[in-house]
Amino acid sequence: MVPQPKIIESAFSLGQSEPVALQVQGLNLVLAGTLVLDGIEIELAQTGITTLIGPSGAGKSTLLRCINGLHQNWQGQIELTGQDVHRWQGGWDQLRRHVGLIAQKPCVFPQSIRANVVFGVQGWRQRRRADGLVEEVLRQAALWDEVSGRLMASAETLSLGQQQRLCIARALAIKPGLLLLDEPTASLDPRSKQLIEQSIKSLAESMPVLCVTHDLEQARRLGGQVVFMCDGKVIEQADCESFFQRPQRLESREFLSWKVCEC
Amino acid sequence: MLNKFIIVGLALPALLLPGACLAYILFKGLPALSWSFLFSATEGTGFGATSGILAQLLGSLLLALAAILLATPFALGTALYYRLYASKRQQGLLAGLLNMLQSIPPIVFGLFGLIVFVHLLQWGVSLLSGAVILAMVIMPMLVLNSIASLERVPEQYTEAAQSLGLHHSAVIGRVWLVQAWPGILTGQLLGIARALSETAPILFTATVFSGVVWPESIFSPVTTLQTHIFYLAQEGSNQQVIQVAWGSAVVLLGVVAGFALLARCLSNRYEKTQRLGVE
Repeated sequence: MVPQPKIIESAFSLGQSEPVALQVQGLNLVLAGTLVLDGIEIELAQTGITTLIGPSGAGKSTLLRCINGLHQNWQGQIELTGQDVHRWQGGWDQLRRHVGLIAQKPCVFPQSIRANVVFGVQGWRQRRRADGLVEEVLRQAALWDEVSGRLMASAETLSLGQQQRLCIARALAIKPGLLLLDEPTASLDPRSKQLIEQSIKSLAESMPVLCVTHDLEQARRLGGQVVFMCDGKVIEQADCESFFQRPQRLESREFLSWKVCEC
Repeated sequence: MLNKFIIVGLALPALLLPGACLAYILFKGLPALSWSFLFSATEGTGFGATSGILAQLLGSLLLALAAILLATPFALGTALYYRLYASKRQQGLLAGLLNMLQSIPPIVFGLFGLIVFVHLLQWGVSLLSGAVILAMVIMPMLVLNSIASLERVPEQYTEAAQSLGLHHSAVIGRVWLVQAWPGILTGQLLGIARALSETAPILFTATVFSGVVWPESIFSPVTTLQTHIFYLAQEGSNQQVIQVAWGSAVVLLGVVAGFALLARCLSNRYEKTQRLGVE
């Protein structure tokens, strides 16, 4: 049963009544006695990019891990396409198949490029017969042209940028409904950065993408929505242009002017 | 400078004594080796003075392999329990228990096997009794090795697999065991080497000296190289018998060293390929 998208308006609403792919409401998370997420409220449309920015320790990566179900002891509500993740059909494993997560540091398994791409595909037979899928997702991740002739080579022979694109392809192979990226271009060269940004933009045409970045220029280039987080709270959510041109909150203005924000 | 001399002086006997011992065994045992000695299974005459050792060699290998096959599933299960479900306190208790089990004298295991398996369960002096008791002897070592191998699987592999929606059992099967198997296999080879080195646990439980060439079933006794040497050494007055004992010792040493060396090579290869490995 595929849940129907629901129309929501909230304190951090998308500004217009449109279908919501992800809605987070009053999300709190305490880790080792510290409140690391404090009343998070965000929502993502059915398609498009949302960049999550903020200083280190703001809780951006932790928020992604909550949405993906790697942290499960939070309070509040996370709804994907209108369905509460706690009641997701098939449990947390099935939820993670719906929410692709790309980590900051590319992690490829010490196997072939092809084996890495199909790693999340269920069933041994399906993995063996996935040639079409392998090509499709490698093209989506802008990696096909570079690896098409050596799919059986070790994934660890790829450059870091290529490995990160392979991780994107691997996440796409399980056909997620939402893509979460945790600083996917951190410590990559400009060319790899450009390729991954192109790939993210292209993917965002067909699915919602939530991307954590410390690179404000990258957030501008990616466009879409911007969510500014600080000290475990969402301070502001706005479309990219208005956030960078006319930030509404003092904390956002301080952050954009490289001042130490006092949130 | 004085410190260096003292340290070298202390280190030298530790290196020279086992080296001298090994050289002496080879010096005494190598002349006994011959084609018929290694590949003949006849019982011979004169309390083993003229017999070949093929049956004993195969018996030792059979017992060690049976022990490793019996111990492996339980060792792996214990290691997975330790890694997956045990709390910190339980992990501490389990590690303490395993270290304690490792320090139990092998003869105590032998005595336990004699009372429980041979007499109480009425398995008799048999391959089964010996294999079970040897499995118990090598179990702590296998568990500790499996735990170490599983702990060396990078955490990011687990997280990457979980992020792809793999079920917990799939993470164990397709990530943990796949990544840890060279380390686990190294432990198995060392376990075989350890099982081949043990005499006391099988002395009362699995072996007889004469009348057995090859066990007919798991409830039949088996002849082994270790106990063969033990019995031959008791005939200290017969030079021909002692010569056979030295020859058997060289063969046993070679087999144990072979497994240990194989384990070492595999371990080195594992270290090298753990981060650069290919499918």
